[in-house]
Amino acid sequence: MTKLSLQKVSVAFGGLKALEDVTMSVPAGEIRGVIGPNGAGKTTLLNVVTGVNQPDTGDVQLDGASIRGLKTSQIAARGLGRTFQTSKMFKGMTVLENVMTGLHGFLKAEPWTAALNFKRVRDEERDAAAKSRAILDFVGMRQFEDYDASDLSFGQQRVIEIARALIGEPKVLLLDEPAVGLSAVRVDELDRLLRRIRDEKGVTIVMIEHVVQLVMGVCDRITVLNSGRVIAEGGAEDVARHPAVVEAYLGRAIGAAAAAGAGHA
Amino acid sequence: MRLPLPRRAVLAAAVIGFAVLPPAGANPYFIYIANLGLVYVLLAIGLNMLIGYAGQLAFANAALFGIGAYATGLLRVDHGLPFFLAFPAGVAVATAIGVVIALPALRLRGLYLALASIAFAQFCLWAFVHWERVTYGAGGVRLPRLSFAPLPVSVEVGIYYLTLGLVVLMSWLAWNMLRSRVGRALVALRESEVAASALAIDLTRYKAYAFGVSAMFAGVAGGLFSALLGIVTPETFDLYQVVSHFAMVVVGGIGSLWGAIIGAALLVGLQEVLRAFRELQEIAFGALILFTVLFMPSGLIAFIKRFASGWDEPLRRTEGDR
Amino acid sequence: MLPFLLVSGLTTGALYALVAIGLVLVYRSTTHINFAHGELFMVGGFLAYTGVVILGWPYVPSLILAVIGTFILGIVSDRAIFRPLIHAPGLSMVLATVGFSFLLKGIGRLLWGGRGEFTSMPPIVDPSPIFLAGLPILPQQLVVLAAAVACMLALAAFFRGTTAGKSMQATAESTRASYLVGIRVERVYMYTWGAGAAIAAVAGCFMAPLTLLSPDIGFNLLLKAFAATILGGLGSMGGAVVGGFAVGIIESLAGGYVYTAFQDVSAFIVIIAVLVLRPQGLFGTRPAREA
Repeated sequence: MTKLSLQKVSVAFGGLKALEDVTMSVPAGEIRGVIGPNGAGKTTLLNVVTGVNQPDTGDVQLDGASIRGLKTSQIAARGLGRTFQTSKMFKGMTVLENVMTGLHGFLKAEPWTAALNFKRVRDEERDAAAKSRAILDFVGMRQFEDYDASDLSFGQQRVIEIARALIGEPKVLLLDEPAVGLSAVRVDELDRLLRRIRDEKGVTIVMIEHVVQLVMGVCDRITVLNSGRVIAEGGAEDVARHPAVVEAYLGRAIGAAAAAGAGHA
Repeated sequence: MRLPLPRRAVLAAAVIGFAVLPPAGANPYFIYIANLGLVYVLLAIGLNMLIGYAGQLAFANAALFGIGAYATGLLRVDHGLPFFLAFPAGVAVATAIGVVIALPALRLRGLYLALASIAFAQFCLWAFVHWERVTYGAGGVRLPRLSFAPLPVSVEVGIYYLTLGLVVLMSWLAWNMLRSRVGRALVALRESEVAASALAIDLTRYKAYAFGVSAMFAGVAGGLFSALLGIVTPETFDLYQVVSHFAMVVVGGIGSLWGAIIGAALLVGLQEVLRAFRELQEIAFGALILFTVLFMPSGLIAFIKRFASGWDEPLRRTEGDR
Repeated sequence: MLPFLLVSGLTTGALYALVAIGLVLVYRSTTHINFAHGELFMVGGFLAYTGVVILGWPYVPSLILAVIGTFILGIVSDRAIFRPLIHAPGLSMVLATVGFSFLLKGIGRLLWGGRGEFTSMPPIVDPSPIFLAGLPILPQQLVVLAAAVACMLALAAFFRGTTAGKSMQATAESTRASYLVGIRVERVYMYTWGAGAAIAAVAGCFMAPLTLLSPDIGFNLLLKAFAATILGGLGSMGGAVVGGFAVGIIESLAGGYVYTAFQDVSAFIVIIAVLVLRPQGLFGTRPAREA
């Protein structure tokens, strides 16, 4: 069963082709990595899937239904959860309130019913808090529930943001460079968390990533973009050996990593 | 050390304190000031919902306050409606206009919204003065005296209790709204529109809610204000009015319900002390806004939270959040 | 009637353009709008009044007094208020400048005029009209128009031709890059606030003899400048100039042909219409987006 698929998606800005005939499909229960050098079209791909940009041609399907032309909030309501490169925790809310915000689409309160404190609003709030605590338990952050979001470390904020997306029971969880700014230890923890999300929650994960360590370790399959096209797709080793990939991306990244390693030594 | 000043006790004391003013024989001027303070509490709560919680920087509050006052007053004068029909109708008009101005405003963010709403506010002020056939022009419209007839209260005391009751009711409504998904959606909107929409929050709908709710508060305040003064004049609803609302929200604590209440009560008192000196009012309000933004961005409520227990609220803004 | 309306529209438009330039100058380098900009205009006008009427100075030294005084006020306000808030959210800065505007207005009222009083300033040149090609023209309007245009040209030369001007431009383009090439961004901001204030003061000095002074004129001028910048596209210097002239002429024509009271309201209608129909203005690129 395909959870997320792009069929022949093309997007152009002015004359610049950001995506050209991109086709990919992510089956249920997979962790898919999308990599590519800067300007390869990763951000555009993300924007197309989240409804920020519309494809000029082609179609995007979430859990078998087209999401073309829908607003971001509608796509989210149909089961796309996401996190961002930079922290988008809601400051001024506690950790628990942040996670509860992720349940928005499941709750029914409207300004008038909430204002009049209807019993069903009180009930749904109680359930929402319980559910949010459970998800905080799942990601191991329960002890922070009363902290203000801005009191947490960057890595902790990232985990809370994943929890906030996860509580909406997404069919697909889209992670935008989740490892950016994390230490190696934190990356390992994230790696384990993502596997647990897949195995225990049955959520399909698509991550757009730069950190090679995370992509290679955790992803079942990897799609490589370059200049708006898919140039390779497959398991970590296949992709790593693919000549076009080595040429376009890994050559440079490995070179850079080697240079950085040499610098440290 | 934290003082044992739990919120419930303080609120109960405040409400009882206000409630016993008339029977305790407070003089009419004092009751009038207390009544004015209560009207401003409504204005400050409404504005805080819009700018403090939803993060929408709009300057239309004074204009909507004026629309509520004019609509209530004119329905009584021109159409002979009794106050208790004209008042809800006036609130409905203000709320409707608030939602209507939200529609173009939905496309605008930050400074653009601020500029558009300032232009709207000045346009309303201009219309209050120049649309003479409807508004009676610069001289304003004088309203017939209210009567609380079967009830054994004077007009002043009647309006006072009506205001007090509405303040208690509407603070409760606002509190409930803030602790539900509605409040969380508003704060999410303030903090990041992209993150909010990624959590299935419909931005358009919640911006419209924020504008509508704050317009409703301004409309209720306007209707009560028209009854309290017995006359509605255009210059009441000028820039000074909206900046005084800002000052109340900021000084009390932006993004805090209790902060808005405290700010309104304090600044109405200050305004009365300086009544005869407009320049000193301006200097005081300007300096207070500046001082608060620079040195205590969470407002007075932050001090109360630090030194007294039990003042936590949902969606609190904390110290150092700027 | 038309030529007369056009000339008076161009004259006030030139002053709106000057006020708008100061606003845009600050906006471009700091991305903040100074809501106290109109009050700086007011203070400039009253400082000139202080020179001419109270101290009995000639016009030019009074103008210099106003410009220097307001420049210093701009710099002091930058150090005391704006620099501490430069990284604060936009809301804090808007509130701070609104608070500052009220502070200045109250001080202006305390020093120069009470509630509802208007103060008149003697004319710069002989106020009786002269006839150009049979049209009555007020020489004062010509002086003001010429001075305002000269001021704009001087500013253009400043931005194109001097290091300070280029630093301001560079900071407006990219703060980060400016740091990297060694521009002291804080210092540029400081002079930007100062220069914005001084330009507002120049406009205030020229406006004062044409109309009347009151502590409340600042906000009105600020709205006209908003209309000009919005029409020209927020952040575009040339747009602000064209927008300023356009708003002046629209006002003058609306007041002359349609209904006198329309003169006051046309700027608001311009703001609302442009923001609803074309938020990027006539020359701007795109409205600011959330980062």
